[in-house]
Amino acid sequence: MSPFRIGLAIVAVAALAALPLYGSDVVIQFGINTLLLAVLAQGWNIIGGYAGYASFGNSAFYGLGSYGVGIAMVQWGLPFPVGMIFGVVLAVVFAFCLGIPVLRLRGHYFAIATLALAQVMSAIVSNISLAGQNIGLVLPPLNNDRLFYELSLGLLIIATLTIFWLTRSRFGFGLIAIRENEEGAAVMGVNTTLYKVLAFALSGVFTALAGGIHAYWITFLDPESAFDISLNVKMIIMAVFGGPGTVFGPVVGAFALSAVSEVLSSEVTNVAGLFFGVVVVAAVVLMPRGIADVIRRFRTSGWHYFIENLRAHRI
Amino acid sequence: MSAILEVSHVTRRFAGLVAVNDVSFTIGKGEILGVIGPNGAGKTTLVSLINGTLSPSEGDIFFEGSSIARLPAFRRARLGIGRTFQIMRPFPGLSVLDNVAVGALFGHGAGESELAKAREKALAQLDFVGLGKFAAQRAEELGGPNRKRLELAKALAMQPKVLLCDEVMAGLNLVEIDEVIEVLRKIRKNGISILVIEHVIKAIKSLSDRLVVLHHGDKIADGPTDAVLSNSEVIEAYLGRRRS
Repeated sequence: MSPFRIGLAIVAVAALAALPLYGSDVVIQFGINTLLLAVLAQGWNIIGGYAGYASFGNSAFYGLGSYGVGIAMVQWGLPFPVGMIFGVVLAVVFAFCLGIPVLRLRGHYFAIATLALAQVMSAIVSNISLAGQNIGLVLPPLNNDRLFYELSLGLLIIATLTIFWLTRSRFGFGLIAIRENEEGAAVMGVNTTLYKVLAFALSGVFTALAGGIHAYWITFLDPESAFDISLNVKMIIMAVFGGPGTVFGPVVGAFALSAVSEVLSSEVTNVAGLFFGVVVVAAVVLMPRGIADVIRRFRTSGWHYFIENLRAHRI
Repeated sequence: MSAILEVSHVTRRFAGLVAVNDVSFTIGKGEILGVIGPNGAGKTTLVSLINGTLSPSEGDIFFEGSSIARLPAFRRARLGIGRTFQIMRPFPGLSVLDNVAVGALFGHGAGESELAKAREKALAQLDFVGLGKFAAQRAEELGGPNRKRLELAKALAMQPKVLLCDEVMAGLNLVEIDEVIEVLRKIRKNGISILVIEHVIKAIKSLSDRLVVLHHGDKIADGPTDAVLSNSEVIEAYLGRRRS
């Protein structure tokens, strides 16, 4: 990474960290939401973007993280950080117990199996009295949006640094090899089962932490919203929009799409969903490898880049 | 010459089909063993059984004296068994250099832990097989003959003790075949044992110390190259029975 880029990243982080000083309450709340979504996109990036396993089960990690904080704080009266750790432990245990069987599946089958995981978790949690069953849990309110904002930003920075480390570590190389050709990776000495499960767990850690912060911030959680599948779809769209398997792609994707969706819902209100859909479809058709790839290739191919992608789709 | 690899009464069935039937042979340290046989004789299955892509239905395989037949493929790779694939399997989106670096990072003895060092080693292997100038290209952009060379470089970067070459010369022209033969000779000089599956008889003749012939999954001959090639049963398997 060039010194220019490092400088740019530091300036961007400083500007983001200082936002609560000059931003309004609405901007800070929008910021928390966006930062948490970016963390989710980065979490998905590890298993989906680097290991190449398109997980629809990350919302299960999110729910476990939320409930970890909820149960620890409401039922056991423990402080928030302990709840976060509890949530992470739940997510890691879940990743190991279910990752080993589920990660044997590939492609569509893996997607379907993980999709089921989140649904099953929602059903299980709504029958556990410790988790408040269908009614959910009400957390003690903490009216400090600036704190939540800085926490979310810190988490996003850690997630991004982790992914940066992945791109230059043996572990990350193993994951990329698995994505590119799993059998070829095994034959060259990559312990594919272990690596996939570790990637799933690492992805789960960040997703659970984001879920924990969100639960404490919103101060309410129920099975429906904690294990919401559409959240999983969102993180995939954001990661893919920005560029899966890149360090900054998912962050850029999350920021860009959150902004688009925010503008649309304030400008065209009730048909915002429609326009958001158009943006996503256009992005998939014109830049299927995400913004990161556009930035890389636009200099050489120019506008022709989009035409090439159109042709590749045979439209 | 002591055996580094011993295949002992190995059988592999696919449902009703017996692809490899009670085959036994050894490869000595620093030896080049040729394996020939008509299409469908079970040659590729045999290589897959040795490197762990498949596991045998019966029989056992020993590497440096200990049984490896039940070990997963990645463990065998780390013990020092490298293979090339007949149907090339690069990591398509990675650069040619990084394709080979994966071998250096993971291969024999769990490889190199630092990426920069692994890339250095990978570049040395690329130069060795004559792909140095393609290092920065994406693997999927390479043409057929260069993909074959890439397969070799990937396997070599693992620093194997035994190299299993599954038709590394198929589809190459005569000049390219001579180049690969030269490369394989150099590899052997470094003390690596090689198993070559090949249809190009000229290459087999000039390379192998010993020859094993498979036919419908059975081993029908095993011995010094020239003797095996003049064996009447081998000629019959390849060319059919001479009408008298």
